[in-house]
Amino acid sequence: MPVVTLYLSRLQKLVGKTSKNRIIDSLPFLGLDIEEQTDKYIRVEYSPNRPDYATDVGIATGLQGLLGIKKGIAKLVVKKADRNYSIRTDPAVKKIRPYVLGLIAKGGKLDDEIIRQLIALQEDLHFGIGRRRKKASIGIHNLDAVKLPLLYTVKSRVHKFVPLAADKEVSVSQILDTMDAGKEYSAILGSASGVPMILDAQQNTISFPPIINSALTTVTTSTTNILVEVTGNDPSAVSDTLSVIASALQGLGFTLYDVKTDKKSSAESLKTRIISLESTLVNQILGLNLSSAQICNMLRKCRLDAVVRNKKISCTIPRYRFDIFGPMDLVEEVGLGYGIQNLSPTLPSSVSVGQKSETTLKLDQLGQIMIGLGFAEALNSSLTSKQILYNNTKRDSAKLIEVAESKSQEHTVLRDSILPGLLENLSKNIHEQYPQKLFETGIVFSGNSSITESISFACVTAHKDSGYTEIKSVLQSLLKTDSNIECKTKTAQDPMFEKGKTAEILVNGKKIGLVGEIDSQVMENFKIRVPVSGFEIILSDFLI
Amino acid sequence: MEKTKLSADQTRRGIEWLRLKNLAVVQESEQLFFALGKNGLGANKEGLPERKLVNLISGAPVPFDDLRKKLLDEMNVAIANAKKNDWITITKNDSGSIVSLKTNPNQTSEEKILSVIGEGKITQDQIKDSAALESLKKRPDYIVIESVKTKTISLSEEAKSIDVDAADSGAIDVEADVPMIHAAKTHPLKDTIGEIREIFVSLGFTEIAGNLAQPGFWNFDALFTPQDHPAREMQDTFYIKDKRAQNFATQAQINSVSTYHKKGWKYPWNLDAARKMVLRTHTTCVTIKYLAENKPTEARVFSLGRVFRNEKVSYKHLVEFNQVEGIVVGKNVSLRDLMGIQTQFYKKLGLNKIKFWPTFFPYTEPSLQTMVYNEKLDKWIELFGMGIFRPEVTRPFGITRPVLAWGGGIERIAMLKYGLDDVREFYNNNLNWLRSTPKCQ
Repeated sequence: MPVVTLYLSRLQKLVGKTSKNRIIDSLPFLGLDIEEQTDKYIRVEYSPNRPDYATDVGIATGLQGLLGIKKGIAKLVVKKADRNYSIRTDPAVKKIRPYVLGLIAKGGKLDDEIIRQLIALQEDLHFGIGRRRKKASIGIHNLDAVKLPLLYTVKSRVHKFVPLAADKEVSVSQILDTMDAGKEYSAILGSASGVPMILDAQQNTISFPPIINSALTTVTTSTTNILVEVTGNDPSAVSDTLSVIASALQGLGFTLYDVKTDKKSSAESLKTRIISLESTLVNQILGLNLSSAQICNMLRKCRLDAVVRNKKISCTIPRYRFDIFGPMDLVEEVGLGYGIQNLSPTLPSSVSVGQKSETTLKLDQLGQIMIGLGFAEALNSSLTSKQILYNNTKRDSAKLIEVAESKSQEHTVLRDSILPGLLENLSKNIHEQYPQKLFETGIVFSGNSSITESISFACVTAHKDSGYTEIKSVLQSLLKTDSNIECKTKTAQDPMFEKGKTAEILVNGKKIGLVGEIDSQVMENFKIRVPVSGFEIILSDFLI
Repeated sequence: MEKTKLSADQTRRGIEWLRLKNLAVVQESEQLFFALGKNGLGANKEGLPERKLVNLISGAPVPFDDLRKKLLDEMNVAIANAKKNDWITITKNDSGSIVSLKTNPNQTSEEKILSVIGEGKITQDQIKDSAALESLKKRPDYIVIESVKTKTISLSEEAKSIDVDAADSGAIDVEADVPMIHAAKTHPLKDTIGEIREIFVSLGFTEIAGNLAQPGFWNFDALFTPQDHPAREMQDTFYIKDKRAQNFATQAQINSVSTYHKKGWKYPWNLDAARKMVLRTHTTCVTIKYLAENKPTEARVFSLGRVFRNEKVSYKHLVEFNQVEGIVVGKNVSLRDLMGIQTQFYKKLGLNKIKFWPTFFPYTEPSLQTMVYNEKLDKWIELFGMGIFRPEVTRPFGITRPVLAWGGGIERIAMLKYGLDDVREFYNNNLNWLRSTPKCQ
């Protein structure tokens, strides 16, 4: 989850008319988790569906509503575009990154903190809505360094310009091969010979979406007028992204101007929408009895607009609240406006009788018997390693089931047997007092093109006198005590067990597992120095 | 040793054992023994030099030089002592000095000591005249002193209080330490899992179960998670290599989910992505499948089991952990009811100080999280999440009534219970920890 740093004095100034303590107390009720708190600043985690909370301006807007300082929509005002406030799209770019929107923001003041927040907001939008810049990416430029109108076009990979943070001209190929942003996002552009490029009226390169901006238009603390362009291959992601940036810039005190893209207004895509809400749904879901007027007030506290129209509530949603899908999302907004702390818990009236699953009951019973037999319970991961599962035990790995791209080397293969894990446990405990007797129940995985999950049971006994007789006694006792099952053992061979001391376990003539003394080479592989015997039975095959 | 017929070593060990048990007191003492040296033995047989002198002159006085010839190097001592005892007189004439007897002396105390010691040895206590002994000790090689150290073993007060008759009857040292044996027991984490299961059952919930490996359809699509959502990437989720789900849902279920995705997220939903097998990232896939298959109008069910996240293992994170999730389906159930059930659940876990904060979950709306006050850590910590399933989740399967859902990780609760700060301990199977962790915390 993303985190934003809020400087309390700044935030207090933005919210207005309230104390720092009230601000701190209210943050969790906006859905923000406090990660760190000092006298000067507070770090909060926000939900990825609310990128507007990436800046203190966005959070201040929310707090104003919750604290009743300002209610209703913080209306987005976008002035008409000047004659040359436009981006012309070259038809060639439609095939590689077809959508572009623009916006101009004038007369604002930037300081280091605001620039830092804008960059964080940009990164957040790139990652979330932009799906790592694939669906949408943003360029923020110093307007005064740009000669309007702009051209969104395609350039070849030999095209050169001075990219952000560089001091000399670099070709597109070099950027993609050598610069960090190039290497990270070049896959979006594929192998096509042409790449998207935004040029100004003087043929200066402004931006190379979705990779990097030009150094020419770098935004600094002395920048007062800003140009924003958003490009992408998903039209709603592009306008979602622009709406969050537009709201943030307006909140920072900039005056917004429209930019036309192929004669279409960018501001057109920043319009509000209306969702109609019934008070019965709100009251049912929240367990309250609110009037429509009260509901409207709650919604306005969440910086939405709401009026009662024909017994229904008509709620106006600002563009940047694209996390709101339908009426149920508005129910949550009413809950936030009401204040979660003000909702008192109740109990549902229905009565029902609960029960555990048959499997749980059976496994609990087997566990109790094993404890009676002196075996302690172990717990291992289902996801383990080839080393433990196959190499150490000499078992056949032909049917191993692997997961892709695990971040942990010890967790790459799904277990098809529990015994190897128990041997690994013994191996880690050779310095502990013997006898050591362990059991475990768990899911094991098998199958070729599809996966079968079975419940398996295994146990081991390790001490200087352990052997086949003891472990077969345990097996017999377990099955007899649990379900009065008689089992038979038939000579068998298995690489994990000692030859001549291995048997298949048969119940009603069906093989359910193996029992025996662990093979001496396997013991050496696990570096265990006392004799070990064990068995494993697939419970799903006969018991569960 | 004589009495017990034990060897010196056994005796020594026995005494040492008694001493360690505080049953015997060992005292060491030193005693001096006096025996006669070579000259002493000679004097005892032949008389002291002064006695030899007296014997030589007992008949008549004898000239000095004659006596010297007989007494040789004992002459000086003999004259000196005889004079000291006032036994003799020495007179001078022209031919030299003549020694004559004054009185016929009795046995001296020195001579008595010599005869008492004889060839044996005596202790200080047996000598009455210590001055005479001192005088003998001054004569060269007359007296040899031997020092003998003796250990005396006696019963301690504690030992004396032991009822020997009772001991002879087979009683043992019941207060002594004995070797540790380890009770076999269920795993501590399984105990917490069992406890949570009991709480759900006591609140009227019935357990349901499902597979750990699930098609993307049930783990993601059915929960309205778009196919390009970051959570579905391999970086977060374990995809099982070379496995594709067949017949994982009905055609109607697939069509319905597909429609909601296309409408809600505006992208071309892809069946093949839904077939990819993943290790479930939550137990919610079990819940939604249950809802889709049973379409209950009233229900209280829960599922509990392992879930997986492709994360780096650390003291905070495991790739595989346990999660529990419960749902309530009903006509008039509300968010406040969900809060009420939570309150009961935590009360049964012994957690009474709780509060609720709004939060975000992709498949519930509204969504809340529980904050629980932890006395030990003196802070509020986040526990289970909860919410009401989004219409985009329930509607595709024909569920129209609200579905209250909540759940969370069990290891987190178990860590608080057992006071652990490293979650990996639960799966280390460290026998020392397993054996020494008491059942009740």
